[in-house]
Amino acid sequence: MLAFVLRRVMQSVVVLFIMSLMVFSMVNLVGDPVDMLVNPESLPEEVERVRRDFGLDQPVHVQYWKFLVGAMSGDLGNSFIFGRPALALMVERFPATLELATSALIISVTFGLPLGVYAGLRPDGWGTRIIMGGSVLGISIPTFWLGLMMIIVFSVLLGWLPVSGRGETARFLGIESSAFTLDGLRHLILPATNLALFKIAMVIRLARAGTVEVMALDFIRFARAKGLSSRRIVFAHLMPNILIPIVTVLGIEFGTLIAFATVTESIFAWPGLGKLVIDAIVNLDRPIVVAYLLFVVSLFLVLNLVVDIIYAVLDPRVRLQGEET
Amino acid sequence: MREAKAIFAARTDTGLFSWLVRSDMARPTTLISGTLLLLIVASATFAPLIAPTDPYDLATVSVLDGRLAPGEEMIDGTVAWLGTDGAGRDVLSAIIFGLRTSLTVAVSSALIALTAGLVVGLTAAFYGGRIDAFLMRIVDIQLSFPAILVALVLLALLGKGVDKVIVALAIVQWALYARTVRAAAMVEKRKEYFEAAICLELSNARIIWKHLLPNSVSSLIVLATLQTAHSISIEATLSFLGVGVPITEPSLGSLISNGFDFILSGAYWITFFPGVMLLATVAAINVFGDQLRAMINPRLSK
Repeated sequence: MLAFVLRRVMQSVVVLFIMSLMVFSMVNLVGDPVDMLVNPESLPEEVERVRRDFGLDQPVHVQYWKFLVGAMSGDLGNSFIFGRPALALMVERFPATLELATSALIISVTFGLPLGVYAGLRPDGWGTRIIMGGSVLGISIPTFWLGLMMIIVFSVLLGWLPVSGRGETARFLGIESSAFTLDGLRHLILPATNLALFKIAMVIRLARAGTVEVMALDFIRFARAKGLSSRRIVFAHLMPNILIPIVTVLGIEFGTLIAFATVTESIFAWPGLGKLVIDAIVNLDRPIVVAYLLFVVSLFLVLNLVVDIIYAVLDPRVRLQGEET
Repeated sequence: MREAKAIFAARTDTGLFSWLVRSDMARPTTLISGTLLLLIVASATFAPLIAPTDPYDLATVSVLDGRLAPGEEMIDGTVAWLGTDGAGRDVLSAIIFGLRTSLTVAVSSALIALTAGLVVGLTAAFYGGRIDAFLMRIVDIQLSFPAILVALVLLALLGKGVDKVIVALAIVQWALYARTVRAAAMVEKRKEYFEAAICLELSNARIIWKHLLPNSVSSLIVLATLQTAHSISIEATLSFLGVGVPITEPSLGSLISNGFDFILSGAYWITFFPGVMLLATVAAINVFGDQLRAMINPRLSK
């Protein structure tokens, strides 16, 4: 077991190193950030000075070495645009993204689970047809376009909800969040729902498949024979059994939510990580792009590692298979 | 999944086409989505013939026509059924041309990814051992990251442009094809004809090309269909974010992005209709793909 974990950790470190190398060398091939930093009318000497100040006059491998040495001590370089450490900027922005992703996760379970279970319990009902049709639509509909439509309907036409920003935040139990003020909540609804829609469709499908499978098992039939009410069968016997796979999948999907938040944040001008990195890409702010990529890569490596370890603990076959492939 | 693929692979010998015809091709869902898909592909292909105006001919586009509501008449008398955008381009024509870009990007990236996936998947399955383990490890690592993120990263590194989006989408997709082909080829490898080919000492190239490839490729039909829908969606998202297709050669995504600026002033049609087209395209492909899967393998459609 220990060997398995160690091997996977080593593998992750190697992947992270290769990624940093690739990202760093490729990011240096596109455009010249100095163009974005200086006034177009500045003198050549001025341009050279800026280039030197940012260390951009040195060969890429020297820059990479400097970056690597810095990264070891938690310094991912300064943002060209903001002139502040990239890592600090990301840490500052991360709570907003986390808040958005968590809200989306809660929304998708709140709506997806009951709908999916209903569809599973009544496979031939009209409601089920509508739900499943809706979930196909939910998977097909481009998230960003739906976000725009939500703005048109709820902000422009009805004027109910604000279009952009995070609104007022408040501190509760040491966590700063929009969810604790009315204004913040009003700002949160649209982006969080937008981010959640794709996941709702996914939860519906998972919950439905799980319900259909579990309801056909003997213990449910036995519970019925014992004369338990449908309510009790659903909540005490069905739910615990279908929740485990759903929770696992959602755990893995949390990373995807953070990645997809880039799109939602751009639409609703949500001041999170995604907005930061999209702006950085457009402005050729390399340190931010590199730092963000390494952050996301690490996030996914950790998530996958945790999931793999949990699986390996639960199922010895995974460990053995790991040795084969 | 693997077992299902085995059954599928076993019956491809009877001929995919005849089997499709025998099955319920005439189901209404299949017919509707198929027809819609056909119409979409046709209008994209014949865009210059179908579109009422040429949205990129600067001589005919007039700023005076800017932001006409759907159904209003443009200066030259043509009716802008879906309105015009800020620069006075007919939205309907822009959509038809945009559809063309979107489909071109999606289909060419799918073809490149399919080819790359076939090569990698067949190599892994045929040679097995360390080569297989190594290649599949790369596939696993790549698939552990969401497609939209990988594409975003690649475009941040490559820069804008239709060719770059195609490359990025191909890199995003190849791993999925490779894994599927490998699974199918592994099944073929256990069959008698494969053993026979080895015994006959046919060259490796001949075995892969003449026997493994034709028998494994059918597993990719459904995947390729669904992946095309997926990559249309990803491309639109990227173009919306401003890292995909440049505005000089707009896809549906860039059209939607273009309309974003007018949303708050109430000119909804500039962003609404391209989105409807995008949704129709993706949904038609998804539904058709699902039907295709159900036809090819009824056991999976549960």
